[in-house]
Amino acid sequence: MNELRKYTWIAWTSARSSWAYFGDAIGRVIFFSIILYIFLRLWTTTFTQTGATHLGGLSITQMLWYLTITEAIMLSGPKVSTLIDEDVRTGTIAVQLLRPMSYAYYRLAMTLGERTIRFLVNLVTGCAIAFLLVGQLPMVGFGMLTLCATLPLAFILDFLGLFLVGLSAFWLEDTSGLLLLYSRGVLIAGGTLIPLDLYPSAVRPILSWLPFANITAGPAHVFVSPLPQDLAMILCRQITGTLVLGAIAFVIYKQALRRVFVNGG
Amino acid sequence: MNVVELKNLRKSFALKRGGLFNRTTTEVTAVAGIDLIVQPGESVAFIGPNGAGKSTTIKILTGIMRPTSGSAQVLGLVPWRDRTKLATRIGAVFGQRSQLWYHLPALDSFELLSRIYNLDKNKYKARRDMLIERFALQPFLNTPVRKLSLGQRMRAEIASSLLHSPEVLFLDEPTIGLDVVARQELRDLMREWNRDEGLTVFLTSHDAGDIEHVARRVVVINNGQVMLDDTVSTVKRRYLGQKIIGARFHEQPGTFDMEGVTELKRSEYAVKLIVDTEKTDIDRVAAAILHAGSVADITIEDPPLEDVIARMYGDQRNGDQRNGTEKASQTGADAK
Repeated sequence: MNELRKYTWIAWTSARSSWAYFGDAIGRVIFFSIILYIFLRLWTTTFTQTGATHLGGLSITQMLWYLTITEAIMLSGPKVSTLIDEDVRTGTIAVQLLRPMSYAYYRLAMTLGERTIRFLVNLVTGCAIAFLLVGQLPMVGFGMLTLCATLPLAFILDFLGLFLVGLSAFWLEDTSGLLLLYSRGVLIAGGTLIPLDLYPSAVRPILSWLPFANITAGPAHVFVSPLPQDLAMILCRQITGTLVLGAIAFVIYKQALRRVFVNGG
Repeated sequence: MNVVELKNLRKSFALKRGGLFNRTTTEVTAVAGIDLIVQPGESVAFIGPNGAGKSTTIKILTGIMRPTSGSAQVLGLVPWRDRTKLATRIGAVFGQRSQLWYHLPALDSFELLSRIYNLDKNKYKARRDMLIERFALQPFLNTPVRKLSLGQRMRAEIASSLLHSPEVLFLDEPTIGLDVVARQELRDLMREWNRDEGLTVFLTSHDAGDIEHVARRVVVINNGQVMLDDTVSTVKRRYLGQKIIGARFHEQPGTFDMEGVTELKRSEYAVKLIVDTEKTDIDRVAAAILHAGSVADITIEDPPLEDVIARMYGDQRNGDQRNGTEKASQTGADAK
């Protein structure tokens, strides 16, 4: 119980710290609004040009709300891997290891705290833009519930991926290449820009079981199409992904701790 | 029970060099058999030149690193095995690394640390208020850490590392980058805490002043081995009894013919003197400088620690050579 309170407080402190620079927060909202507006216009044009009423099983209203959610999740992510990379290179990780807590859980709590606030801001902004462009989504209340059910594991999955990228600083000179690969994975293979149902049927099952798809596409899918069986499937994939990535992260983290050399003070 | 107990502690690293096809691995020894015992309430300066093995030893003592061989115990615990348990009983301050949240006031970091260390709420509040008073933190307690001066930040850093009432405090270059006043304030606080609260202090620094003012025992290491282990007063008498005085004048200064004063450097309007404080007082030399001409600027410094260590190393080598010669002649005599 004490341990839970400890990490909850870290998350809370992190959430407060993320609002220390109000200007930065406003900047993020403006950036998110512009990106979202561009994608919404692109998909509106695609629907108009093709004359289709549904693409990948989604109507234009569902598609635009789908994009709102995927972008809100994608752009709410703190720079976890960069922070871990910095901690490793500057030796700051040594300061964190001197406290009675797990460095991995500390970073997870920080990420969840900061991300929750950022996501809520993106969600409110995104909903306002989507509502103005295409109006309200049917069953939005139930969709919101299913979205909330899938978000915690989506954030944890994304954290685990970025945690692994950050830990690679123990072995690699530069982790930016891996980060680029990972973020493109979430963007393209994860169905952030294009729903997975629009991919060829041969690759769709593979993509849907990869962690990427269960970070943005999964929660967005159950938001626009809140079916209990889909929710169960997404949760099942998320749990599997969390267990697998968690186990990998555990092994890599243990190995990484053996490589803490901390040169020069 | 000893606070620190090291027996033949060794740590070596494999250093890999070269590309994919011509990779070579060299073994680098950072710590080469250190034996050390620190008693409760001691204040020990652990010093040495860069690359001597200080940081590696501290990392082993705090449980971040495992030694290659030998044994280490801190407060009866094996640091790398009982790291989390040990963390509740030790404090650490790294001069170049902060444990305070940059965007939030120090008070918020204190609150967070109280949760991390699972401190009892009432005990935490009493301890926090006492630290705020003793470290004079009140005026900037609600200011975000990013807006504090380095001196204020370091005071808050040390206070935060004492929140959980540690039994031993590891200080790694705590005064680095501080101005003269802030440095002295911090030294006074560390000494006070060691004297009044019985806190064991384990300090590493490149500043001879830190050692002189904070510690009572000096352990010098070089090439991963203990080179000297003595009281500060002995070391001070033997190695730190010198000050460097630099003075700039508006006119050409006169000569300084005083016992224990040697001119290190002289230009048209400036002079640098090394003063043996055993033979002459600093204030007498300062008075002579003021008498020598119209003074534009005057500085008094400790000799660089590297120079002090080089002298210690020189003495040690001479001692070893003497012992070697004595042993050789004794062996020769035995053979006869």
